[in-house]
Amino acid sequence: MRTAVVIPAFNEAEALPGVLAELAAAVPDHAVVVIDDGSSDDTAGVAAAAGVTCLRLPFNLGIGGALRLGFRFAAEQGFERVYQFDADGQHDPSQIPILLAGLENADMVVGTRFAVGDPGDSGYRVGRGRGLAMGLLRWLVRRATGRRFTDTSSGFRALRRPVLELFATDYPVEYMDSVEALLLAVRHGFTVVEVPVRMRERQGGRPSTRNLRLAYHYVRVLIVLVAGLGRHTRLGATA
Amino acid sequence: MSDTAHLVFAVLALLALALIVRLVRLQALKAKYSVLWLTVGALLAVSAAVPGVLDWIAGKVGVAYQPALFLLLGFGFLLLLAMHFSYELSRLETRVRTLAEELTLLRHELDDKQD
Repeated sequence: MRTAVVIPAFNEAEALPGVLAELAAAVPDHAVVVIDDGSSDDTAGVAAAAGVTCLRLPFNLGIGGALRLGFRFAAEQGFERVYQFDADGQHDPSQIPILLAGLENADMVVGTRFAVGDPGDSGYRVGRGRGLAMGLLRWLVRRATGRRFTDTSSGFRALRRPVLELFATDYPVEYMDSVEALLLAVRHGFTVVEVPVRMRERQGGRPSTRNLRLAYHYVRVLIVLVAGLGRHTRLGATA
Repeated sequence: MSDTAHLVFAVLALLALALIVRLVRLQALKAKYSVLWLTVGALLAVSAAVPGVLDWIAGKVGVAYQPALFLLLGFGFLLLLAMHFSYELSRLETRVRTLAEELTLLRHELDDKQD
């Protein structure tokens, strides 16, 4: 089965070489597609030096826009499975088989940092404020989808064909795309499952967003979620 | 309204109208906007030239304080305009994003062919 790994990268020249080397060692048969999201550093050069496909956006579209381009490219090139991978070294290549194994009986797999019932198990810890915010997101996503997801904002995800085609055109382009993408897939009736994975701390670069902007997008996603609460039941009624 | 104030507003309205006409003639405004702004300019010119018109309309719709009517209409118009611009901006952003995607894919194809 042809598998592609989509890596959105914005000014990640520092961490990207390590990530690409690890991927080449762990999954040599997967096609690596780096999306240079309008970087001002040598992200594209680093990707080219590693010999992987690099799509260079003319300006910064944000993570959602970069991902949508990656999905579109993968869909056009006829890949059957695609997974997202962070350019900053947060994701662990050893966890890829675990993620892809989930695709055998689901259309989309989300790698969760919080194993069900045991948040301490994954070794990933978040502060109290962020923990509360993630808790509220979790609760709203549960209300909106009728399902329980422990890690709604995880960017370690795999998907296969029907979802790939949907995401190629309809992937949410605003920041915090991951939560909206989850809703989108569930609303279209696709099977979405979570699998527990291990993640690491960032290896380089800076976090993509400052606190104020994060707060703004958090509120925006809350509005999207609340606005969508009624829609789920109506979709379910017509199906 | 005093004669001086009347004169000042008439001149301002004429200036606004002249600016609109000039922008339309230079085709700096798209046709759909030029109709809108020409209408606004004409209305401004009429209400400045004939001050009785606003009083008359205010009397008809039962607004006791005539300037309030003017402000209400102006505010409503600006609000609608702002909403319309937000709508247009959203549409444009969607198109620009899609164009950026197209461009990136085309450039990639081109680079591949040259190698």
